[in-house]
Amino acid sequence: MDCRAVQRHAVQRHASDSGRSTDAMIDHGLLVQMLIGALLGISVYLPLMAGQLSLATPAFYAVGGTLAALLSTRWAALGASADGRFPLPSFLLEVLLGGVLAGLLALLVGRLVLRLQGIYLAIATIALVEIVRVAILNLPLAGGAIGIFAIPQPFANAAGYLLPALALLALAAWSCQRLESMPLGRAMAAIRADELAARCMGIDTTATKLSAFVLSAVLAGSTGALAAHFLNTWNARQGSFDVSITTLAFVILGGSRSWLGPVMGGLLLTALPELLRPVGDVRLVLFGLVILLGPVLFPQGLITPALLERIGGFGRQEAQG
Amino acid sequence: MRRCSAGLAAAIGALVLIGQQSDPAAQRIQQGGALTIGAVIALTGNANLYGQDQRLGINLAQRWFDGRPRTAGSPAPPRLRLQLEDGGSDEATAIAGFNLLINGGALALIGPTLSQQAFAADPIAQRLGVPVVAPSNTAQGIPQIGHYISRVSAQSSVIAPLSLEEALRRDPSIRRVAVFYAQDDAYSTAETEIFQEALAARNLNPVTVQRTQLADNDFQTPITAALQRNPQLVVISVQAVAGGNLIRQLRELGYRGQIVVGNGLNTPNIYPICQRWCDGILIAQAYSPDLDTPINRTFLRLHQGVNPEQPPSQMTAQAFTAYQVLAEAITRLQQQGRLQGANLGQARSRLMQELLSGSYDTPLGPIRFRADGEVLQDRFFVAEVRMQPDGRRGRFALVRDLSLASKPATSPPERGSP
Repeated sequence: MDCRAVQRHAVQRHASDSGRSTDAMIDHGLLVQMLIGALLGISVYLPLMAGQLSLATPAFYAVGGTLAALLSTRWAALGASADGRFPLPSFLLEVLLGGVLAGLLALLVGRLVLRLQGIYLAIATIALVEIVRVAILNLPLAGGAIGIFAIPQPFANAAGYLLPALALLALAAWSCQRLESMPLGRAMAAIRADELAARCMGIDTTATKLSAFVLSAVLAGSTGALAAHFLNTWNARQGSFDVSITTLAFVILGGSRSWLGPVMGGLLLTALPELLRPVGDVRLVLFGLVILLGPVLFPQGLITPALLERIGGFGRQEAQG
Repeated sequence: MRRCSAGLAAAIGALVLIGQQSDPAAQRIQQGGALTIGAVIALTGNANLYGQDQRLGINLAQRWFDGRPRTAGSPAPPRLRLQLEDGGSDEATAIAGFNLLINGGALALIGPTLSQQAFAADPIAQRLGVPVVAPSNTAQGIPQIGHYISRVSAQSSVIAPLSLEEALRRDPSIRRVAVFYAQDDAYSTAETEIFQEALAARNLNPVTVQRTQLADNDFQTPITAALQRNPQLVVISVQAVAGGNLIRQLRELGYRGQIVVGNGLNTPNIYPICQRWCDGILIAQAYSPDLDTPINRTFLRLHQGVNPEQPPSQMTAQAFTAYQVLAEAITRLQQQGRLQGANLGQARSRLMQELLSGSYDTPLGPIRFRADGEVLQDRFFVAEVRMQPDGRRGRFALVRDLSLASKPATSPPERGSP
């Protein structure tokens, strides 16, 4: 048997073995990862509501995660026990603090970076991601390249994280939905349509864009705090440029015209590599094809305004009937 | 929009319900049924070079175990089924792989490839009481994650300084040492600390420490800066692909002195990268193909059957060993009748006890485990890369075979691994 034959044998064995366990593939751990993906998708979507392409989400995600990892492992007052348990109120406090710290950072840097537009803003936010990554990497408290490990657990298993993740997603989705009918949301939509016209109409575009940027950061920071506990460990790699691209892909595939798009994109693109395990070694090739073909087949994303209108219209017709 | 939101909420709710499954730990072990050993190794991402070696090692071990001759009258060996999953090179994929295998009823797990992944995935196995044998995690604190976590990969705090000693033995006049490491890589930063402590212990302070990045492939700037300090020895702690490029560029830019490399370059996969420029680099290893023991000869024969061109790497041997120790412990359990009538949770617990109490004759040499799951290995090796004239093939030629007292508990702390 030559090397290729052994590898072929391994691939076949791999495929068949994985196939047997397909029913076990959507477990609670994967669901939590999907929800984290959806939350990060909304975080990228929020600045887009105001027409701003910001890729800074991973920076704020990393800030929230690092804060939670540091607090839970180094601040005994939060109540981490020797057997690795962590009080639920302390965990919720960290999720809150993660969001607050990320929001403050966004407030600080937002005024500077939001002077830029389009691709220049995207580049500036990528730079922010790199600055935060290198800062965390060189922060002695954050454990350097290996990061912080043995992060205590507020729940006995992955299922426990479902409730806070779902609650956070519901809150984020509800906020996005409410925003659309609030003055701030309408101002964001106006800026997205035409920033100059919006300014002429008396909209404070700087404050509006900054609000969207800060909201995005708060959500990413809180998600990072949740993810740090879920992952058991945290390091500078969690907030890298790769994550910027991944989260942007959530919005591009899902659609950027409603909050449902990035949620759908985040859920699908996080789950897909795992759901493709039965096909073996080519799973990431297929995953790449989906990312490639998605924008070709669905240029406006999976969730488009037309689709929402159709579903809404269908609902109205049904009600009338 | 509300209709869509409601649909999405219903879909997520349905997934939550689908995700709820009966606990496989409560399922009874079927008499004569196959027992699953799961493996989560890096087949994608930047650690995939190690994962390919590990996959080969695990597959060879499976063939070795399935093909072992049975002595007359002895009970039938257990039927083992290998389920191998890609753990990627990140934490989330490793966690997903572990969850998949544990929910699928794996008796024990091998992996993950990287220590950073182990810190994420091992606590899950520990909480659910699933034995884990790590084939390549050398970070401090891995066995300490919990009772169910063990490893067959010796800490490089014991091994790494041996190659330095060999370099200094060859040229005792060495005074000027240049150090390279990847600043954003856990393994590299941990190993360089060990190297630099070992240098300091010999009164050799580095004349320059060059920090690179994990994804770097062009090292001309740090090399030029280092060569201005006229180093007599270069010590490198980076991952395989970057290391191959770094060595090649060092030689191309005129460095002719000795090169000592760390565990990240402990794979023949570096040969095609640095080619003839690999020749002469020194590396300390936990495995040597030149070890003349029956099990290593068998391992070499199996390896030659699939890859006649080059001898096995340390990663392959350690992965083979991880499967071997699990298979032997399961066999002993079955022979003692301790799997009869047990459910999966009980079987996992008994397997862990049996695993830690045994001694194993492996391709790495004789090994056993400390009570906390730390491997106790006595034999280590220093090898020199010798390339064929064509510059495409090479081998780790054994230059020193060292027998050390196993004292991992008292060894200096270490924080990283490939």
